[in-house]
Amino acid sequence: MRLPPLLCGALLLIMGTMLAACAGMRALPGLPESHPEALAVGQQVSCSECHDDNQKGSLRPQASFSHTPSFVKNHRLYAASDDRLCAVCHKSSFCNDCHAGKVEIKPSTKYGYRPDREMPHRGNFMTLHRIEGKLDPASCYRCHGRANNERCIACHR
Amino acid sequence: MKLETRAVILTVFLSFWISSASAAQLSIDSSTIFRVEQRDLGFGDKQKLMPVTQFLGLDAEKLADGNLSLHLYGWGRGDLGDKSYNDDKVDGTLTYGYLRYRFNSANADIRGGRFFINQGIANEQLDGVNLRTDLPGGFGVSAFGGAVVHNKNLFGESSDGKGDYLYGGRFHYRYARLLELGLSGVYEADAPVLVHYANGSHRAVGLDIWLHPMAAVELIGHTSYNTETAEISEHSYLLNFKALPGLLLSGEFDEHRDRDYLYSWSMFSGAGLNPADKSRSTGGTISYALNSKAILSTDYKHYDRQYGSADRYGGDLKLSFLENSLRSGIGYHYLNAGATFAVSGNPSASYQQLRLYSLHDTKGYFASVDLLGFFFKDKIYDTASDLEASLSLGYHLTTDLAISGDVSYGRNPEFSKEIKGLIRLTYNPVFSGKGEKR
Repeated sequence: MRLPPLLCGALLLIMGTMLAACAGMRALPGLPESHPEALAVGQQVSCSECHDDNQKGSLRPQASFSHTPSFVKNHRLYAASDDRLCAVCHKSSFCNDCHAGKVEIKPSTKYGYRPDREMPHRGNFMTLHRIEGKLDPASCYRCHGRANNERCIACHR
Repeated sequence: MKLETRAVILTVFLSFWISSASAAQLSIDSSTIFRVEQRDLGFGDKQKLMPVTQFLGLDAEKLADGNLSLHLYGWGRGDLGDKSYNDDKVDGTLTYGYLRYRFNSANADIRGGRFFINQGIANEQLDGVNLRTDLPGGFGVSAFGGAVVHNKNLFGESSDGKGDYLYGGRFHYRYARLLELGLSGVYEADAPVLVHYANGSHRAVGLDIWLHPMAAVELIGHTSYNTETAEISEHSYLLNFKALPGLLLSGEFDEHRDRDYLYSWSMFSGAGLNPADKSRSTGGTISYALNSKAILSTDYKHYDRQYGSADRYGGDLKLSFLENSLRSGIGYHYLNAGATFAVSGNPSASYQQLRLYSLHDTKGYFASVDLLGFFFKDKIYDTASDLEASLSLGYHLTTDLAISGDVSYGRNPEFSKEIKGLIRLTYNPVFSGKGEKR
């Protein structure tokens, strides 16, 4: 079977572009597999203490990822744009203590010895969820909408 | 054979295989938690819960040519007393289990197995494949696809309301350290027809932005569009202004069209909500690092829904002493909300929240105390407050191995008295290694 000349040309152009892109990609930097230095446990990590420029492999200033109270509260926005930078310091299980398909123990109970960590639903959230759910249903949906619904189904029928 | 059982067998097999590969770096972390909980339900009814839960994670790095790694994490639970909360006295799950091949350049990697996707507007758990790479010229691309990981079936239904497969991806462009624009989408197979719930297929596209026009200013957020309802479903944006060293002013704006955003939330019949209903919240946080030992923050948020509005404001102070081994905090918040947000029949949903905690972590012992109280403007189920006091005491047996115990006492509208205790054995070698992940 003979291909039309125009199609052959297009295929060659695509292959050439892909080869050029691949060659170019080899020169692109990548993030390190893990952070080269151990970080203090329980501190509000300030990346800019050591990094005053953009991290190799990430075209963002390190200060953007300093774990300020606002960052911790809104970390979903940062993780959604590049969770590979998060993965330099955190295992996936760090996220999945809260964000999972099926959470067995409330994170604040699992880590009862770490009251300094930001954890959702501390104390008896059963009462409060009747208020908070009406106030901001989107905040429930982010974790329980399409996953982790087992406890919800026990009552919401 | 259930997937979880197969996963355990696979984990054991892989552990032997990995341990036989001399160059591989194997890391296992484990938490065994034995809980004891007694609930006084009133009218003489009591529950005694004694579940034992084992969390187990395995990370094997530097497999094959050194760029291949394996990551597994899951838990299993057995009830020694009354059932904890579902129909089975034994339960468990494989949270994730995937192989990852990481390329040396362009942040490229391939993942295969069960994993989570959190890219752009996509926030999914799937059994499938994900390929990601940066491209020349500031571009980058990620694509994923596979089988949907299902949840517990909805009551009276034979499904959880989700489709059986999904695919999607994110394409982004970064310009220097000034701008990143992302376009992402997710397409899930047709949602099953449910008898008792209104549900819809999970399909959306979205735009995300990160803008950093000057050192002190940063804007990050996204807007999503539900392709099933042909409406914008969400705006979520955060604006940061670093006024002075240590001083950060943040403004937040979130808006959701309830039906379009919650369209595939079958449990609450999201597809059946009123298309006109909206939820909006606007607010801000001011945080100031007084020095390396103290961070003070105040926050305010205003909520608007179709049936009313509410305000929440308060502040937190976090302190750190003795080279961060002694950490304490105090926080106060007040929610001012009317009857439309209240527990049914109450004239107000307003409450005050007060929290006080402290912990001390030494090379030997570690201990913490946590006091939390909610004080309702109007009693809920004839109870004016919701109080919980927790104590935790532990000992580092080795650098990696620790044993600890917690006990808590609470009184709240649900339970006239709630006493909980647990014993925890934790093996976590990640804290001892140089730069290892946690």
